[in-house]
Amino acid sequence: MVSSRPAVTTRPWFPWAAWILAGLLALGVAFVIESRAGGQRITAARMTIADTVGYQPPPATVPSNLPAGGRTVAMPHAPAPLWAPTAEAAPQRIATRVTWYSLQVPPLPDDGRQLYLYVPRWKSDGTLAIYADGKLIHQSHANLQWNGSNEPLMISLPRTEVSHPPRTLDVRLQHVRGIGGAFSSVWIGNYRQLAPRYTIREILQVQLSSFSSFAFLATGVFALFVWFSRRGEPIYLLYFMTSVVVFLRMLHTFVGVHPLIVSDAWFGWITVISPYWMIVVLHLFVTELHGRRQPLLTGVALLNGGFWTIATLPGLLDPTLLSAPVYANLLVLGLIVAFNGVRQSIRFKSRDALLLSVWCLVTVLSGVYDLALQQNIVSIESVFVSNFTGVGFTVLFWYIMFGRYIEALETATRAKADLARRLTQREAELTTSHQRLREIENRELLHQERQRLMQDMHDGLGSTLVTALRAFEGDRAADLDAVALLRGCIDDLKLTIDSMEPVETDLLLLLATLRFRLQPRLEASGLKLNWDAGEVPPLEWLDQRHALHILRILQETFANILKHAEAREVALSVRTEDGRVLVRVRDDGRGFDPTLPVTGRGLANQQRRAEAIGGRVVWEPSPVGACLVLVLPVRKTVTKDG
Amino acid sequence: MSIEAASSTPLQIVLVEDDVAFQDAFRTALAAAPDLSIAGVAATAAEARTRLAGQPADVLIVDLGLPDGSGVDVIREAHARWPACAIMVATTFADERHVIASIEAGASGYLLKDSPLPTIAEDIRVLHAGGSPISPRIARQVLMRFRPDERPAQEAETVERSGVPSLSEREKETLQLITRGFSFDEIAGLMGVSRNTVLTFVRRIYAKLEVRSKTEAVFEARAHGLL
Repeated sequence: MVSSRPAVTTRPWFPWAAWILAGLLALGVAFVIESRAGGQRITAARMTIADTVGYQPPPATVPSNLPAGGRTVAMPHAPAPLWAPTAEAAPQRIATRVTWYSLQVPPLPDDGRQLYLYVPRWKSDGTLAIYADGKLIHQSHANLQWNGSNEPLMISLPRTEVSHPPRTLDVRLQHVRGIGGAFSSVWIGNYRQLAPRYTIREILQVQLSSFSSFAFLATGVFALFVWFSRRGEPIYLLYFMTSVVVFLRMLHTFVGVHPLIVSDAWFGWITVISPYWMIVVLHLFVTELHGRRQPLLTGVALLNGGFWTIATLPGLLDPTLLSAPVYANLLVLGLIVAFNGVRQSIRFKSRDALLLSVWCLVTVLSGVYDLALQQNIVSIESVFVSNFTGVGFTVLFWYIMFGRYIEALETATRAKADLARRLTQREAELTTSHQRLREIENRELLHQERQRLMQDMHDGLGSTLVTALRAFEGDRAADLDAVALLRGCIDDLKLTIDSMEPVETDLLLLLATLRFRLQPRLEASGLKLNWDAGEVPPLEWLDQRHALHILRILQETFANILKHAEAREVALSVRTEDGRVLVRVRDDGRGFDPTLPVTGRGLANQQRRAEAIGGRVVWEPSPVGACLVLVLPVRKTVTKDG
Repeated sequence: MSIEAASSTPLQIVLVEDDVAFQDAFRTALAAAPDLSIAGVAATAAEARTRLAGQPADVLIVDLGLPDGSGVDVIREAHARWPACAIMVATTFADERHVIASIEAGASGYLLKDSPLPTIAEDIRVLHAGGSPISPRIARQVLMRFRPDERPAQEAETVERSGVPSLSEREKETLQLITRGFSFDEIAGLMGVSRNTVLTFVRRIYAKLEVRSKTEAVFEARAHGLL
């Protein structure tokens, strides 16, 4: 491709420019080749006709008893065919005619070069035989009706040591009376002169439709397999059906030179009726594209096509002979469907449907031209235009499918991006809500902590200080052990501070902290502490609030021992038994009666604290001294507030 | 543990403390101890620095809340200038945050401000003799800092961190027993070593904590592109 700028493939006009350039290039090449062609064209002949019945093989030489005279005609020559010739199924009884064209060959240089005969088109509807200097040199050998009359002929003239450029050429056409018997002008020359003409015509008229039909069919099969896995999208099935129908319709343009595997009747049925099928599937495809069903029109098209499909079945009406009325009906139906398609596509804004509908219209109109060619109204050397519109269908369908494919890819990309975007958004939302929850949680925690400390200060430090203050005010300071009182306050404060640091489920660490705080006082009082910390599983419920309660209970216990027990030794042991943790504090002092009202208040306080954290305090009977057991659960199911 | 009580020269003690009441209590406590002698009292960080430029003392006691700066900085500077000096942080609550920060700066113990006066003198002697106090919570905190999988290991880190000391099994055991409430004597009994050995363990742990904190600082600075 010629392009001023590289890397412009993303520009939307680029593919179009490429296509147009390629088309122009191909046309230019064709023009150059055509202009280099040469050869002699023969455009006049003497035509003689003789009516016959059935088909006879051509004679080996031009019979001398050819009906004399005849008349001189200009080549290409095509008799006006009947629109409805008499139909006779059996070839041996059919009314036929032999048409002879006798041509005078202009003098050619006898330079020993191989000479060729090039016939752009022959329309026999029967058999063809060509004679050079009266001797048979070529004859058709395929079917009578579908005999490859679309394909140009290039015959090499016999070349022997005595041969010379022929002076006369005779063409014998035996055909159904009323149709056929047409023959184009004839070119004679060497290979270099004729091959360009023949090749270009062969490519345009035969190869192009052949290639595109096969390619379309191949992608149709691909679409069929797509449909197998995506049954919900009938457009792929319709694509396949269209490709099949178009293939069937195009068959006659590139087969027939050799005998067909089906009879003329079946082949004619396929070829003549397949345009109806094309109209139906194209109508359905366009409907699928713009998305608005039209049951009435679909029904009419189906009925119309179905009628001819059945009526022209081999053994009933002969579609080949009846092609004119069949095509006339087809024209009407095609126009209705195509115009309707254009209207609907514009109404429902489907570009693909519009393209396809317009191309249907073009095809219908080119069908009119082809019908004129078929009926010898225009020069028979012309080309069937619908061959090219058939190629156009292939390209259009590819274009539509390409568009869908690209769209699907873009949708997938967009969906992926969209998903990522939504995921990010959702993530952000979650983070925000999580943050909000955390804030609320923190606020709640702070509030609880404040409550706890307030309560603790009020019950402990506050009340002790107030008691001391009243004592000093009432001049009873002498009764007070001020140092012990203040030390008690500081200890209280230290335990409060300790309770603010998390112990992370570690009861032993909590008890160790308590010992660390109490040790100086115990030592000062000469009290020996036996420490027996056994194994304790992590206590999930042990938070600051619980920790402070435990510290206070034990602090109270030790305070009582120091104050009242007159003990010399105290033992603290920690054990885990039956899903409970037992903290046992045993002294060897005087012991006490827990039911006495004097001691009762402090003990009740301890009990209340223990209950608040889901445990309890038990005084075990002991032969000597006292033994307090703090029973704590290993696992707590319900958290009570306290 | 008054090992050096009657030794020839009294220990030179410097106090950095802005609270006059504690200064007085401190003076009273040391007046009763002939083996301890006050070699200076500074009420601010600035005064402390001036004193640091002078003759090194045997024991330095630093309060953290100074009017013109943090006692931690004073500790760090003192540790650099007077490497042989035993440094104590004076604290009311022995809360792990302040104590560990001080130890990382180079302190090797703490002095509880509310201790009875004789205890203060005794604590100073013990520290100078190589014994360091440790609370269960501090022990716990130290254990957590030395936990190997504290952070996700990174390829480059493993090499960089080779300079970071780790705790020996015995040291870990000591710390674990402390967190369970056992005293130094009990631990010595449980581990079958002398009380002095346990004290040595604690002193060594504090030293490692300090080294670790320094290495860590360098590492952090590198990670943040400051070095």
